[in-house]
Amino acid sequence: MLRTDEILSTIQMLHAEHLDVRTVTLGLNVDDCAAGGMEPLCRKLREKILSRASRLVEVCDRIGRKYGIPVTNKRLAISPVSHLVAGHGETTAVAIAKTLDEAAAACRVDLVGGFSALVQKGITPADALVIGSLPQVLSETQRVCASVNVATRRAGINMDAVLLVARTIRKIAEATADRQGFGCAKLVVFSNIPEDNPFMAGAYVGEGEPEAAINIGVSGPGVVSSALKRRLQMGGNLTLGDMAEEIKIMAFRVTRVGELIGREVAKELGIPFGIVDLSLAPTPQVGDSVGEILKTLGIAKIGAPGSTAAIAMLTDAIKKGGAFASSSVGGMSGAFIPVSEDAVLAEAAASGSLTLEKLEAMTAVCSVGLDMIAIPGDTPAETIAAIIADEMAIGVINDKATGVRLIPVPGAKVGDKVEFGGLFGSATIMEVRNAGAGDAFVRLGGRIPAPIQSLRN
Amino acid sequence: MPSMKTLFEHAYVMVVMSDDHPGIISAVSGAVSRLGGNIDAASQTVLGGYFTLIMVVSLPQAKEPEALAREVSGPDAPGLQVLVRPFIHEDAAGGQAVERFVVTAFGKDKPGIISRFSQCLAGKDINITDLSWTRSGDDFVMIAEVDIPARIDFGPLAADLEDLGRAEGFTVKLQHENVFVATNQLRLTR
Repeated sequence: MLRTDEILSTIQMLHAEHLDVRTVTLGLNVDDCAAGGMEPLCRKLREKILSRASRLVEVCDRIGRKYGIPVTNKRLAISPVSHLVAGHGETTAVAIAKTLDEAAAACRVDLVGGFSALVQKGITPADALVIGSLPQVLSETQRVCASVNVATRRAGINMDAVLLVARTIRKIAEATADRQGFGCAKLVVFSNIPEDNPFMAGAYVGEGEPEAAINIGVSGPGVVSSALKRRLQMGGNLTLGDMAEEIKIMAFRVTRVGELIGREVAKELGIPFGIVDLSLAPTPQVGDSVGEILKTLGIAKIGAPGSTAAIAMLTDAIKKGGAFASSSVGGMSGAFIPVSEDAVLAEAAASGSLTLEKLEAMTAVCSVGLDMIAIPGDTPAETIAAIIADEMAIGVINDKATGVRLIPVPGAKVGDKVEFGGLFGSATIMEVRNAGAGDAFVRLGGRIPAPIQSLRN
Repeated sequence: MPSMKTLFEHAYVMVVMSDDHPGIISAVSGAVSRLGGNIDAASQTVLGGYFTLIMVVSLPQAKEPEALAREVSGPDAPGLQVLVRPFIHEDAAGGQAVERFVVTAFGKDKPGIISRFSQCLAGKDINITDLSWTRSGDDFVMIAEVDIPARIDFGPLAADLEDLGRAEGFTVKLQHENVFVATNQLRLTR
């Protein structure tokens, strides 16, 4: 029997607070598309994607209508392209990217992730091909997303790969200079990359994953900040414990909605259900902001002292609520702070209250990392590598996934504003302080060894 | 609802109405007990100070429904109106596959609202299984649990109900029951 107050609070969440499912991502292993020639390889890849994914959008839309809950993004993730490229040349790498782009468009999915290489301990010729082709791939395709894993807890940090990727980021920015370096928004550099992440640009199908799986990203931060505001309006002697409890309840509810829709989509498509990623993923839309949640919790300027504690509490409460709601939690599962994609964070970066260093501190206690941050286009590759290395160190030492998505905007200086459009939002170029002062460290190269797992202080 | 099995062979459905005061259920259940009968199912509610109870009762020996009603509304229980009929279980959905949805409507109270919504539903062969109509702040809220035959396309149905709501100044939503179960209860679905 449903209770009236339960019905009313769910209706409030669905309609007044615009609860949605952020993404349904179909993960597909495409290793069996490998072939000796470029043409048969691309044909097999196209056929496999079309045969498995052509109904994804239609099914998501129909189930979304049935439950009155829209599925905002429908996406594809594949096994690392480096597996397919092995033994081929750069022409094939680009042809694969274009095949993915066309197949994704034919299936009407927003993005396809998995143009990826895992190089935490060393770079194979295939990995080098994938990374080398990124400037052309990310400038000449619309939907293809790339990721490079340069560090893990067990391998440490491959600093040669970090520098190679940093140089590649500069080249991607130049190749997409007419779009303010937008190509870089489609590449994430990872430590401890999750095998089942449904969120872009870092989605891919990792080792140990099934042939195909439906992975879900739940609704955004809007529902959480609305719930907190409502709780505050009700008054009483509220403490942070009460706020954490409210976040936990909302996380439970949004996770349940994600799993409900995901399981039904999976069943319709005859594909196993994979995981629910609990991450609160903001959009540039007003109100759909992690920064807004921190403001509601009493951090008037994001980046002010207290910001790290507030986001730590938020992330932990989300995990607690979500973990109770579902036994299939995976992916990144934290709180995202992509600066350009979150209106309040973007504003804090523009006003100067939020700096790169404070963002880095915040990423130590939430997922995912230094995300969608625009920096001056002339930032040296070594400095970009040093920023990546810092973020990777947080991931490796704390045994968590961290990512870096930096956009060195060609020709732009600190304080300039750039528009990426749509979900990618707009960003003010942030200052990289002490640029160049760590370059010698980066140039030493080699590998930062895997960390000790005892002596945990 | 699965077909209901009663303890004894002779089953009756009984409705009791009264002004609300202590002792009604005691009087009614005492009367059933004295007849050696069993209460097989019951649902009771109080609205605006009035008591109402619906029960399925079964007896070892057959009894005329009117006689059973007189037995319950006897001198021990003054002021009770009792109505009894033989219980013949019928599935309101007529055995067809249905999915349960919840219709909610919010708006300013005015006469005829429930009539219009229920006519719309009845016209489409949709059965209302539970209905409440209460005040929430300044608005009135209608919550109807409905069984929608699987052959009905819920998209156009939702649009029809929303259109009807707009014409009456009501915000109407049609949601699948699973959404409420998933977001409020410990299990994902029933």
